[in-house]
Amino acid sequence: MTAALLADLAQRAATSGLDIVPFAVPFFVLAIVVEMVWAARHNPTAYEPGDTLTSLLMGTGSTVAGAIVAGTIALAAGWLYAHRVATVPVLWWTWIGVFVLDDFNYYLFHRTAHRVRWFWASHVNHHSSQHYNLSTALRQSWTGFPALSFAFRIWPAYFGVAPGMLLTVGAINLVYQFWVHTEAVGRMPRWFEAVMNTPSHHRVHHATNPRYLDRNYAGVFIVWDRLFRTFTPERDDDPVRYGIVHQLGTFSLGTVAFHEWAAIGRDMWRAPLGAKLGYLVRVPGWTHDGSRDTSDMIRARWLEAQEDD
Amino acid sequence: MSGKLVEAVTALIARPDIGPALIIGAQTLFSILLVIALWLLARALRLGGDVRIADAAHAAQLADAAITGFDAHEITLDRARIGALARNSEGRILLIRRHGARFVASELTSHAGIRLDRHTLTLETGDRQFGALTLDLGAEAQIWAASLRRLGVQGIPA
Repeated sequence: MTAALLADLAQRAATSGLDIVPFAVPFFVLAIVVEMVWAARHNPTAYEPGDTLTSLLMGTGSTVAGAIVAGTIALAAGWLYAHRVATVPVLWWTWIGVFVLDDFNYYLFHRTAHRVRWFWASHVNHHSSQHYNLSTALRQSWTGFPALSFAFRIWPAYFGVAPGMLLTVGAINLVYQFWVHTEAVGRMPRWFEAVMNTPSHHRVHHATNPRYLDRNYAGVFIVWDRLFRTFTPERDDDPVRYGIVHQLGTFSLGTVAFHEWAAIGRDMWRAPLGAKLGYLVRVPGWTHDGSRDTSDMIRARWLEAQEDD
Repeated sequence: MSGKLVEAVTALIARPDIGPALIIGAQTLFSILLVIALWLLARALRLGGDVRIADAAHAAQLADAAITGFDAHEITLDRARIGALARNSEGRILLIRRHGARFVASELTSHAGIRLDRHTLTLETGDRQFGALTLDLGAEAQIWAASLRRLGVQGIPA
């Protein structure tokens, strides 16, 4: 009976998509309340009301932006599926396969979002908080759609994965990532840390410490970082500092949402003709005259200083 | 009042001809109310607190966090310890200020916008987001003001 119900649910999810995010919202709110109470007792600076307000309003704005463009993304995925070269059947093991594939696509997207300034401009707001708590998880982009970030996630439709499956696994992936944004959880059991993305791994990802810059891009499975050599473990002797290399120093929503796009515009306007495109597609921090630092340059300088010591 | 509100929302949801714009609008309104409730809770729990720069060593850590390898060797704290000025051996100067429950820093590259008023020094780094900052540096204010003049204007040495 239960198996039949599950099969029916899976079939309907594959057809029309099952977005579990709205169902998860009450749990998000409850978890934030619990974490705030924990912070009040153990670590009051883990939260800052102004920062929390900005993060949560970014989340609200992101939901609105997502709802407005959802139809267009669904159309794009539907078009790809209509022109598919194969058909992936809806079976329990293909659901698992699609979930793993989607998580790999998330890794690719996320790595690109840190290494190509065009995508970074949309993603940077998620990193711009100097705090790391569950409200930071909801500090989401308003400009993911114009940045075309969705292209990383919908291409499997062309190879026969039903758009509903992609929407469903993408939503599960997003909900999983909520809980890793906390300082309240230390380390999980070793087997779990080996395979899954955890608070410890993701703290490293949000760090500005030179050792940790541009590491641990995983969404659900940390194995991608281990496979592609972008993994760095959290160390007790190097406590994580959160935020971005040049901290914003403001809680202004407009600045958080659009500052990097504005900076790209300024840089491209001022740059010589041959260098303009570089400010769009090269790594964040790149300049044609070497006047700023990329994360690789910061890490290299830090490593040099470590060797001198 | 709340009963009427529930009735209105229920009637709205029950309408078969309800448009997606109305649904998004209602969801957004509800989200904003939740956000405000969480923000008020954070304030009620006094989260964030009143952070200060503990001492010169703390300021040096903040400087190194802002610019890797900054290695500050001359530091003056604001009397209320909400900000600091730090200089390294290369003569680079970093202005540190409180931002919520954390600190941010910006490099001073020009003496434009610097004003001395007895023991206080008002500084601008040219970074609009960072803004202007007034530090009470005591007797050190005049010494810093004199040395900052050597920065020149917009990187042109005086």
